[in-house]
Amino acid sequence: MTLRGMLMVSGLLLAVMARSESCVDDDTGRTVCLTAPAQAIVALSPGATEILFSAGAGEQLVAAVNFSDYPPAAKKLPRVGTFKRLDLEAIVALQPDLVVAWGSGNPAEQVERLMSMGLPVYVSEPRKFEDVASNLERLGALAGTSSVATGAANAFRAGVAALQERYAKAAPVTVFYQVWEEPLMTVSDAHLISEAMQICGGVNVFGGLSALAPHISREAVLEKNPQVIVAGGMGEDNPQWLEPWKQFSSLQAVQKDNLFFIAPSSLQRPTPMMLTGTRTLCRHLETARARQ
Amino acid sequence: MPDSSYRYVFSLSLLMVASLLALLLAVAVGSVPVSLAELWALFSGRGLPLHQELVFGLRAPRALAAFATGGLLSLAGALMQVLLRNPLADPYVLGISGGAAVGALLSMLLGLGTAMVSGSAFTGAFISTLLVFGLAQGQGSWTPTRLLLTGVVVAAGWGALITFMLTLGSAQQLPGMLYWLMGDLSYARSPWLAWLVLILALLLTLPLGRSLNVLARGPLQAAALGVAVKPLAWCVYGLASLLTAAAVTTAGSIGFVGLIVPHMLRLVLGNDQRMILPASVLAGGALLTVADTVARTIIAPQQLPVGVITALIGVPVFLFLLYRSR
Repeated sequence: MTLRGMLMVSGLLLAVMARSESCVDDDTGRTVCLTAPAQAIVALSPGATEILFSAGAGEQLVAAVNFSDYPPAAKKLPRVGTFKRLDLEAIVALQPDLVVAWGSGNPAEQVERLMSMGLPVYVSEPRKFEDVASNLERLGALAGTSSVATGAANAFRAGVAALQERYAKAAPVTVFYQVWEEPLMTVSDAHLISEAMQICGGVNVFGGLSALAPHISREAVLEKNPQVIVAGGMGEDNPQWLEPWKQFSSLQAVQKDNLFFIAPSSLQRPTPMMLTGTRTLCRHLETARARQ
Repeated sequence: MPDSSYRYVFSLSLLMVASLLALLLAVAVGSVPVSLAELWALFSGRGLPLHQELVFGLRAPRALAAFATGGLLSLAGALMQVLLRNPLADPYVLGISGGAAVGALLSMLLGLGTAMVSGSAFTGAFISTLLVFGLAQGQGSWTPTRLLLTGVVVAAGWGALITFMLTLGSAQQLPGMLYWLMGDLSYARSPWLAWLVLILALLLTLPLGRSLNVLARGPLQAAALGVAVKPLAWCVYGLASLLTAAAVTTAGSIGFVGLIVPHMLRLVLGNDQRMILPASVLAGGALLTVADTVARTIIAPQQLPVGVITALIGVPVFLFLLYRSR
């Protein structure tokens, strides 16, 4: 090969490398490829918005859905409807180069319509702590903010690992977590919240149920007689759901006053915020251990 | 009668124009403004790529789905009201939407894709139709009451199954299932099946108008006047079921249109099925298209369910017509 030919080949190679196509698999296993870092991202769930901000891609977000309230900068983003009824026209008009959808929250028909129109759609569906970290990394890779995203993912993993290590030998505490009041709902071991309990050395009394968020009766809770009752609530500071339990003095949790409230936003959204919620949960379980 | 045929042509032409205007409105209006001049440029093959995507990729399929669904439901409603001789009859009263919903939810529980969900919804509607047909045959003669009671009870059975499946559904599947049940054009699927069924059904029903007029007076009178009541009744039942199945498969069970549009038209145009059936298709299609356009634009980017708007437009208009007619 002549020198000129070699130069041409290497020039081509450089050009290909400079285009730097990045590909990642989303949570449904589809491969999403972008030829350049995403500059106009639309997030179709509050959780996706939060993950994108943590991954350092907040600047590139051009729109979100209603109730995307964290971090505070997310409140200023233009809206494209609610997560369950998207304004497809508004999304298409923004000409996004990446759409981050919510696998189990957005209507499948609407997400498929966006895909069929040729928009790159990444479907996010974190079910485990590790999924939160890997979503950070993958979205960071697509947005060209890998350094921030990797940092956030590693900080998240390290935080989880530290909690795990700290409570690895702690005495197991049986926990009932109340997701909703009417109907009374809890979570099974398939849920992230149950994973948070395990990290803190807690045992979910309803962990073995098959549904992800099973409906249960008060009677079932009395029968399981958990050492700790943790409840979310409607709103960030509303421990009302704990009140009805106080009439059941046969419950260990009531006798030892182990009734705790944790703000739902810190434990019920599959985002890096889970770490904060898990820390609170671990602290409450530690309090409960001291009271045994 | 030249006078009545003049009225026939005039009313239908008016509704045809209204339908075309409704469809035009639906492609012209949205969250992103597209002017009439830009729209014209699009239709003559020019125009911005973004506008092309908006109008041909999003608005047109949705408007076509809305029109076809509205037309199907109104025609099915008009047929059911004649068949059952009951003013409260709507396309869903005989359990067809229930059967479709059970089919759709079952395939969602099994984790099948959206194409399979539509297929099994249609199959569910078909099974429900056959079930009601078989049970309502019975031993004795055909009566609207027997058909109505059979249908209502089968519908109640489907309702129980739907509730049961919603309890079984996991938290991941539940939103999808509820979206399907809600019935809304935001989640509308491809409109072509609906159009095919609509046009075929309209061609089939037009020659039946005269016999249906007789049937509307009751099966005994119809038989006395030489109409083969049983075959006609089952043919109408089959048609109405097919129409409903196509509508539900396209956009879920959208309420209200099938009940109210035929009644409105009867109040204005009189109870001649030759007029009412085609008029129902046009008026129902136009109403749902306009309602859906309003639903997706009035508080955009928030999107409303179309049922809110159909009721908001339909209820006052219907009550006014009813009050005036006495």
